[in-house]
Amino acid sequence: MSRALLPVILLLGLVGLAVLTDRPPPRADLVMYNGNDVNTLDPQRMTWMPDLRIARMLYEGLVRNDVLSDGFDIVPGAAERWEVSSDGLTYTFYLREEAKWSNGSPLLASHFVHGWRRALLPDIGSKYIDFVLTIRGGQDFYDWRAGMLAEMESGEGEKPFADGAAFWGETERKFFELVGVEVRDERTLVVTLERPTPHFLDLCAFMTFAPVYSPLLDQYETPDPVSGRLDRRTGWTKPGRLVSNGAFELTGWRFKRDMRLEKNPHYWNADEVALRSVSIPSIGDPNTAVLAYETGAVDFMAEMTAGYRGELVDKKKAFYAEHADEVARMRELGLDQFEIDRRLPDDPRKDIHAVPAFGTYFYNFNCLPELPDGRPNPFHDALVRRAFAMVIDKRAIVDEVRRVGEPVARTLIPPRSVGGYAGPDGIDALSDARTPAERETIVNAARALLAEAGYPDPANDFPITVELLFNKDSGHDLIAQVIAKNWSQHLGVSTRLAQKELKVFREDLRKRNYITARAGWYGDFGDPTTFLDLLHTDNGNNDRGYSSAAYDAMLAAAQLEMEPDRRMRMLADAERFLFEQEMPMVPIFHYATVYMFDPDEITGLTTHPRTKQVISLIDVLGDGIGPELPRPMHASRPGMAVLDGAPATGGTQPAHNTDGDNGDGA
Amino acid sequence: MIGLLLRRLAQLPLIVVVIYTITLMLAWLVPGNPLENPEGRQPPPEVIEQLNRQYNLDSFPRFYFTYLDDASGFSWLRDAASGRLGDAADRAQAEGVAPPERYVFDFGPSLQYDDWNVNEIIAGALPVSVALGAAAMVIALFIGVGAGVVGAMRPNSIADLATLAVALIGISLPSFVIGTVLLLGFALLVPLFPVAAWGTPRSVVLPALTLSLPFAAYIARLTRMGLIESLGADYIRTARAKGVRESRVLLKHALKNAFLPVLSFLGPATALAMTGSFVVERVFAVPGLGQHFVAGVQNKDLFLIMGVVLVFSTMLVLFNLAVDVLYRFVDPRIE
Repeated sequence: MSRALLPVILLLGLVGLAVLTDRPPPRADLVMYNGNDVNTLDPQRMTWMPDLRIARMLYEGLVRNDVLSDGFDIVPGAAERWEVSSDGLTYTFYLREEAKWSNGSPLLASHFVHGWRRALLPDIGSKYIDFVLTIRGGQDFYDWRAGMLAEMESGEGEKPFADGAAFWGETERKFFELVGVEVRDERTLVVTLERPTPHFLDLCAFMTFAPVYSPLLDQYETPDPVSGRLDRRTGWTKPGRLVSNGAFELTGWRFKRDMRLEKNPHYWNADEVALRSVSIPSIGDPNTAVLAYETGAVDFMAEMTAGYRGELVDKKKAFYAEHADEVARMRELGLDQFEIDRRLPDDPRKDIHAVPAFGTYFYNFNCLPELPDGRPNPFHDALVRRAFAMVIDKRAIVDEVRRVGEPVARTLIPPRSVGGYAGPDGIDALSDARTPAERETIVNAARALLAEAGYPDPANDFPITVELLFNKDSGHDLIAQVIAKNWSQHLGVSTRLAQKELKVFREDLRKRNYITARAGWYGDFGDPTTFLDLLHTDNGNNDRGYSSAAYDAMLAAAQLEMEPDRRMRMLADAERFLFEQEMPMVPIFHYATVYMFDPDEITGLTTHPRTKQVISLIDVLGDGIGPELPRPMHASRPGMAVLDGAPATGGTQPAHNTDGDNGDGA
Repeated sequence: MIGLLLRRLAQLPLIVVVIYTITLMLAWLVPGNPLENPEGRQPPPEVIEQLNRQYNLDSFPRFYFTYLDDASGFSWLRDAASGRLGDAADRAQAEGVAPPERYVFDFGPSLQYDDWNVNEIIAGALPVSVALGAAAMVIALFIGVGAGVVGAMRPNSIADLATLAVALIGISLPSFVIGTVLLLGFALLVPLFPVAAWGTPRSVVLPALTLSLPFAAYIARLTRMGLIESLGADYIRTARAKGVRESRVLLKHALKNAFLPVLSFLGPATALAMTGSFVVERVFAVPGLGQHFVAGVQNKDLFLIMGVVLVFSTMLVLFNLAVDVLYRFVDPRIE
């Protein structure tokens, strides 16, 4: 029998060994839940919101967004000042002398150039290359390099270069010859753009434009001796090796387990950082993440996606209802949502926060003349698209399915999210009706549109079964059910639900192998074109196959317009054309992001709909570190709100969080 | 004995290559491009094309043979023998750059997680899964054998029926239910154990218990059946007749034979437990290997899928072999 105990003893030994060699680090000043780990810390290759959130702690661009200002102002970052030429094409940045990397070496203009060149190299495969292609000659450089790489790697013909080193040398030379980037001196960087790009400074605050520490990258990215293709080795983004120029440095990262960042002592603005350390456990299950929050193991949930978040938001609404007068009074004063929570009596229900986000949930119509199976596509006709858009009960989706107080969407761009931009009204849908009579009017108007399009009796003469394509999970099925029911009930058409795996769904969208499909879009930068470009005929994200010469011309005209207010009006006209006439997609609602944190304990988070939290602004109240004062939202500072590429007079953006429609849905 | 070991070890590469071929064919057929974003902004098509070429995703035969070459260690052996490995390292040192990352069994880069290659991912996750799986098997053995003995001592008694019922529940209830209930009970209501903090001895308890229950239930039934059968055998009657104490009859004479089916179950079960359970890992935020099976397929991360599958199949073969060896210790009659 004792021999039969052998496996047990062996197993016990294994457990003991593993547990003893594996100790957790001490608790950090802030423990943040950021989903189930990041994909990458390489600023030029990242695209995910959780990745970008960590990147903003590690890197600092030439400029930053003041996320606590109502206008999301552009403020100096690594550059202390900049100049813009009068034609809006040339930007000159002056780096601050005290800007340093986390190892103490000075931050140089060439480090930015290195990062931008990486983004433009086909060898790196930056997925956000489009942003950097705003710089003059970027596309030429990419094409040149890609063409030469193909020649170097093909088996036949004479090679254009003797070896990889010669090819790489020429690439470095060619970059400065073709691309509008000039390192005037160690701390002066001159950039020339392809065309005036009013949001270029906002792009400079985006992580694709982050600098990289050249001495480190040069060790990990070396040209192949034969082909000259950059041999990319992982490893430079690991703790102990990564050199960063932001408020924090990386001191620990165990994949899908935890990450730890500590204050970067060499950061030029380190005195303002009120956190010594941040740890980020990786938790796959959203429910477990909430449990971790409730047991105090996590202080701040940067995204709360548990299925029952609707119930928690309901509790928050009930809490607001108990204090209705105070809340109304504080809203009147223009206080932001987190500040209001802070001033209300202590209550566990306070910890959940739904904040408007820079994104929209919508349904795509396939706009091509023919369906995937070759039949004529009725949705090619804008009248049909408008009719289908009108009968959707968006309010029911928001209130009964989503339940986190997201505003109903009439247009693509979330209202008041881009300073200086006032979007169009869009058209009324079923949910805008307040009385049964009004509902009837809208349904009749939609049926009239269908009749005009040639389907007077859609129940019998609408030629196809309308399929709604959506991916599994996240409750998309429930939304599709509401819409399908609206369409069959009010228009009489037959509908079919098609649920697919995410990857298959994505493939169908790309091949436009669908009739109608769910979709969502988050804006990346503070300009209407971050949404409006989607509908351009040649855009790589135009999943609808929508093509309108008139619309493309409107975007092109706005691109040439130098006067900012007029340009914004032109873009608003373009959006009006889309959502009052063309309706290539139906906006359903604007997203909200749900956070969990105790407002009495944590301050420095923004309620701005641009959805960009800057963790280095967080101060944990009561821990004795930092100023220990609440950091509420503030008005734009005059001379800082940048809407037109140059520091301009600002401060006129409407407050975005005083509207009862947004926010906690109260 | 040595012959058996050698024969089985020689079979190992063959089995693994067959599994590799079938899995890669299936994974290749999964629709979608691993380099596209599932949602949101899509990279330009020419960028995708470049990356496809870099990773050999544009040709199945090229991917098949290159990956097999790297993962099997042949590529490393070749370069080591020809001195290329040393040259590259020397050159890197001379130029002051990081040495090329070469692994003997190189599973390649992860397509989804840019900063990690599959070797690093497995090296981080496998020890966690092994610890959790080992702990779960210990618990499963104690609970399972204990319950089986209780049941077999008085078949069809109340105690027997109760353990059978518990075993049935253990098999039937999915672990996300058991796990969530345990978490709510012993982490939130009675805060005995931490949530999402793998790395302390206490953090192993709840996930190991959850993972062990289905195994424990199965072991209990195997033990009970085996014991009831051997308790009716002639040598047991002989033992009782010469006055051996009942507990000794049960534990020394009967259980030894009854344990054999449990032992053969332990091989694959341990391999399964040690290569991670997606559900248990997810509920308890355990950074193990199981999540990578699922995430690999969801993201169509070919390198990651193949890496975890190769590791799992190798472990499965080795654990079965270990059980065969243990068998001979327990029962020397078996050849």
